[in-house]
Amino acid sequence: MRTFDLVVATTAQHALEALARHGPRARVLAGGTDLLVELKAAAAAPEVLVDISRVEEFKALGREERGLVIGALVTHAEIARSELVCRLCPALAEAARRIGAEQTRNLGTLGGNLASAVPCMDTGPALMALDARIVLASLGGRREMPLEAFFVGPRRTRCAPGEILCEIVIPESSLGKSSAFRKAGLRRGQAIALANASAALRVDPQRGVFLEPRIALGAVAPTVMRAREAESFLDGRAVSREAISEAARIAAAQTRPISDFRASSGYRRELTAVLVRRVLEEACDRARGGCGGAP
Amino acid sequence: MIRIAIRVNGAGRVAEVAPQTTLLELLRAKFGLTGAKSGCEAGDCGACTVLVDGRAVNACLMLAAQAEGREVLTIEGLAGAERLHPLQQAFVELSALQCGFCGPGMILAAKALLDRDPQPEEQAIREALAGNICRCTGYVKIVEAVRRAAELMRAELVPAARKVESSR
Repeated sequence: MRTFDLVVATTAQHALEALARHGPRARVLAGGTDLLVELKAAAAAPEVLVDISRVEEFKALGREERGLVIGALVTHAEIARSELVCRLCPALAEAARRIGAEQTRNLGTLGGNLASAVPCMDTGPALMALDARIVLASLGGRREMPLEAFFVGPRRTRCAPGEILCEIVIPESSLGKSSAFRKAGLRRGQAIALANASAALRVDPQRGVFLEPRIALGAVAPTVMRAREAESFLDGRAVSREAISEAARIAAAQTRPISDFRASSGYRRELTAVLVRRVLEEACDRARGGCGGAP
Repeated sequence: MIRIAIRVNGAGRVAEVAPQTTLLELLRAKFGLTGAKSGCEAGDCGACTVLVDGRAVNACLMLAAQAEGREVLTIEGLAGAERLHPLQQAFVELSALQCGFCGPGMILAAKALLDRDPQPEEQAIREALAGNICRCTGYVKIVEAVRRAAELMRAELVPAARKVESSR
C-alpha cells in the first residue's frame, strides 16, 4: 500500500473536523474490508485516511420512535446475531449472514457496505425493501434521504466530501412487515452475489391481498434497484402462486444485468425471477405464520 | 511513523510503524510471529486469520493502528506451556493438516467458533470455516478435527500431562 496520513478519530466531532479540513483529499476508513483491498491494488492512495472505527457514537443499535436505528459501524456479524434485527426485519439479518465469511463479517460494517455502493452488495436490497433511510453527518449538520436516493452508480453515492454516513433508519412502518432475502452465488460461503433479492410486505388478514409490497434487487443493475412495476402489480392483488410468478417475471424483465466471468446477463435475469419468487413466497409464509415480526 | 501498543498472546507489545502497515505485517515483520500467513491479501483465503478481542478477523484487512489497545491472539499463543490446545491436539491426531499453510487460520477460526458454540453441528463448523481455504482440499479431516476438539474440550479429556514434545 502507498503511504497516507492517518487520522485516528475518537469521536464523531473529531472525525467530521478531520474530513472538513482535508475535503476530497481524505477518505473514510471503517471496517476496511473493501477500502484496504482497493488501496492495496490502487496506483494512487488518498492523502489522508480518517479512521472512524473507534467512534462509539456510530456503534449503537436500538429501537427508537422513528424506527430501528443502526449505527453505521455496526458489523455484519452483530446484525446477523442481533435478536432485534432477526425479529423485526429478518431480511436484513439474512443478508448480513450471507456476506463474505465470519472474518469479514466481524470487520465489515453496515455503513461501509452501503457507502461502497457496489451493485452486488447484500445489505442494500434488504434495506431498500424495508424503505430504509440513511443519515449523512457533516460539520454543517445532518441530512437524511431514502437509501434509494443515496446510490448514484457503481461505487458512486450522494455522500459529499466532508460527510459521513452515520446511521441507517428502518422506519417503524416497515418493522411490522414480513420480509425475506435470498442470494445466489457460485458457492454457499464467501461468495459474491450473482444476483440477490429481498421482499417486504403485509398480507391483509381479511381480504388476503398484498399490502405495500416492496421488492429490491442487487447485482442486476448499476445500483441496487426497486422492482416498482412488480410491486404495483402485486399491491392490492390476492395472494396466489400465479400472482407471485407473474411479479417475479415482471421484476426480472426490469433488470439490466452485466455479463462477466461469473455469470451472463441472461443467467442473472433468470436467477432474479427465481429469487424474487422465493422471497415473495417466504415473506407470505411469514406473514401468515405470524413470524415476520409483528411489533 | 506511528506508535502502536497492543497485547499479543497475553503480553504487551509496542512498535513504531508506517500508517499503511497492516496488522499482519506488524505481527510477522515486527514481532516475528510468522504463524499467520500472507495469502491473498484481500480477505478471501483466511490464511492470515487471528483473533482480535476474541473474534476471528483477516489480519491483512486491518491496519495495525486499528488494533491499538486490543488483545490479539495468534497461533503462537494458543498452546499452553505444557500442552497443546485441544484443537491443535485434534488436528495432530486426525492428520488434519497436509501442507499446513492454512492451519493457523483454520485453527483460530475454529477456536472462535468453539468459544461461542461448544457443541457445533457440522453445518456450523463448515460455515465458521467458509473463509478459510485449504488448497490441499483436506476439508473432511479438518471438519472432523474441529468436532473432535469440541468433544475434547467438553469432556476435558485432554491429558493434562501431555507435553508438546511428546506429540512431535
